[in-house]
Amino acid sequence: MAKRITIDPITRIEGHLRIDVEVDNNSVSNAWASCTMWRGIEKILRGRDPRDAWLFTQRFCGVCTTVHAMASVRAVEDALKLEVPPNAQYIRNLILIAHALHDHIVHFYQLSALDWVDVLQIPKADPAATSKLAESLSPWTRNSHNELKAAQDRVNAVASSGQLGIFANGYWGHPAMRLSPEVNLLAFSHYVQALEYQRKALQVVGILGSKTPHIQNLTVGGVANAIDLDSQSALGMDKLEMIRELLAQVVQFVQEVYFVDVCAVAAMYADWFKIGSGVRNYLAVPDLPLDSRGSAYDLPGGYIRQGDLAGVKSFQTAADPAFRQAVSEDVMHAYYQGDKALHPWVGETEPAFTGWDGEQKYSWVKAPRFNGEPMQVGPLSQILIGYAQGHALTRKYTNLAIEKIAAIGNVHVTPDMLHSTLGRHAARAIRACMLAELAQKHWQLLVDNISKGDYTVHNQPVLPSHEVQGVGTHEAPRGTLSHWVVIEDEKIKNYQAVVPSTWNASPRDRAGAHGPYEASLLHTPLARPEEPLEVLRTVHSFDPCMACACHAFDPSGREIAQVKVL
Amino acid sequence: MKSVLIGGIGNVLLGDDGVGPYVARLLDAYYEFDDGVEVADLGTPALDLIDQISGKDAVILIDSIHTGAAPGTVLLYRKADVMCLRPAVRMDPHSPALVETLLSTELFGSAPKELLLVGIEGSSYDSGCNLSDPVNNSIQRVIAEVLGELARLRVTYRRREHPVQTGIWWATTEKTSALRTS
Repeated sequence: MAKRITIDPITRIEGHLRIDVEVDNNSVSNAWASCTMWRGIEKILRGRDPRDAWLFTQRFCGVCTTVHAMASVRAVEDALKLEVPPNAQYIRNLILIAHALHDHIVHFYQLSALDWVDVLQIPKADPAATSKLAESLSPWTRNSHNELKAAQDRVNAVASSGQLGIFANGYWGHPAMRLSPEVNLLAFSHYVQALEYQRKALQVVGILGSKTPHIQNLTVGGVANAIDLDSQSALGMDKLEMIRELLAQVVQFVQEVYFVDVCAVAAMYADWFKIGSGVRNYLAVPDLPLDSRGSAYDLPGGYIRQGDLAGVKSFQTAADPAFRQAVSEDVMHAYYQGDKALHPWVGETEPAFTGWDGEQKYSWVKAPRFNGEPMQVGPLSQILIGYAQGHALTRKYTNLAIEKIAAIGNVHVTPDMLHSTLGRHAARAIRACMLAELAQKHWQLLVDNISKGDYTVHNQPVLPSHEVQGVGTHEAPRGTLSHWVVIEDEKIKNYQAVVPSTWNASPRDRAGAHGPYEASLLHTPLARPEEPLEVLRTVHSFDPCMACACHAFDPSGREIAQVKVL
Repeated sequence: MKSVLIGGIGNVLLGDDGVGPYVARLLDAYYEFDDGVEVADLGTPALDLIDQISGKDAVILIDSIHTGAAPGTVLLYRKADVMCLRPAVRMDPHSPALVETLLSTELFGSAPKELLLVGIEGSSYDSGCNLSDPVNNSIQRVIAEVLGELARLRVTYRRREHPVQTGIWWATTEKTSALRTS
């Protein structure tokens, strides 16, 4: 008989992701993804000055601050038909890249790695053998015997105190854990090191944005950074050199550690290239504009339907008509009034909570659809679209990943196998390598442009009195983000944000089509249904972000997620 | 010199959840502190909180809490009160992460020696940029707790003769009356 399992990090108000699966013969037979909190933050923006919107949207999420700020200024610029000077584009791009590198590193080491790495195995590892193994995988200089021994000692100290502390929330000793003690130790030592490098990436955001976590340097029409090569307070050579040095260290960590670790996990858990596929429609928008008009980009965008890579379509611009006309949000199964599928410019956000009912309404997330179909977004979408288009940088690092995985585990990965849980991890690491290379390119573009004597960073916005509409997009760490704004009488008339996790965590639509999380969980084998590690592996591979909205401390410990087996 | 972080945590767009950033910005506008003191509106930092608190001698956090107590109730928590909790099964990287943050810094050897969490029970967390009356009325008490902790840590502070702008740009009904006398 089918069992129902609910994974629900219960708290009263935070917007959490809840997953319900039906399990039949240790295999998932049905799935529901839902969000347990109503945001409706967009309503706060109505009536406000569109030039201030980014300050508010930056607060949607405490960790994706910059991405919502960026999408917002781009939406208003699109509505005003306002171009952005090249310096401002490059500065924005550097912020977006640094933030994304930080985010991808955090995702793998802080969220996902411990789904694959068994901390309980670490005390059994031989640090000398681990160091030797590491040398065969990567030139990274911090894989020494001493460094690895120190990491092992930390785990031993925690284990011997009888308190697994930080590791108390993992499924250690689960039969789906399969790495050797040495690989577990190596990955753990990188988990510790990752903190240093993600911090360096954030420092870049801080230098350019003048503050983190909330950057201050954006403005509709450009950026507010004063450029003066000889100044220490303005953006000058001192700060630019500091940024270059920080980026160099982050780039090295990404290419020699993060990328290699993901390839190693992929080689050793190769069966996960067959699990977790789900929705094979993919969507990505072009990003990292190379000129003020946004006529060329360093990251490709477009869409793929039904996994047909040969039939890939391209978007020419970040606000391509083929994108802006195709998006709707369906509330058939979401806690909002009515059952309509509306375009974001005429979108409504009128809550109507009715309680969880898998047949009717069961989530606060609307179901975004592209030409009526669910789409998967995120690094995998961007990599598949770029690969299918023959995008050189995408092909370079995708091929490198395929070679690396083959070298480590004798596993031959084809692009078709990327439609999977491991494919999402591999794609994120590939994307991180691309961004690492692009970080250095955009740093050079900025320096070259300034060196030509161009110090312009801003074009003045002019608000018309008649109604205008705009869309601002950003290919964020979790995928396609779009902010949609309607401006009238110099005030915001309507504002909707269609965020990446809304695409991926979407509930069913009017046609009954599952959202990407839901579809990806079908047929997943579970070794121990009461410890659904396999479900977490696939959900984590999307890098969800639902709970960004609210952050309160519950001293009773109710932050603890519940896994209920019914 | 002691390195001290005074950090306000919360989402300023969700009613009383914004009390942490609100108080942090008030403190910054009305007081001057020793050089080692950093006052920050941290928003909702999740695991990024690890970066913020690592290596500090002392950390004072201001955050909304859920205990079922009457709205506006101020409760204090020390490091040990937080460390004894188990971290949650993590669905995403951005959920609240105070417990994990402290446990992580402990593992990495960079945990602050002292921690005080000044918690304020909220009444409304619906979308909106203003604090409820009970929470507004508790702000003077919250500030007194923060300053009391600084005194206990032997960190000096003084009221600014000419307060600077609070920078609470999100609220339409800023109430600083709590600070006009004292």
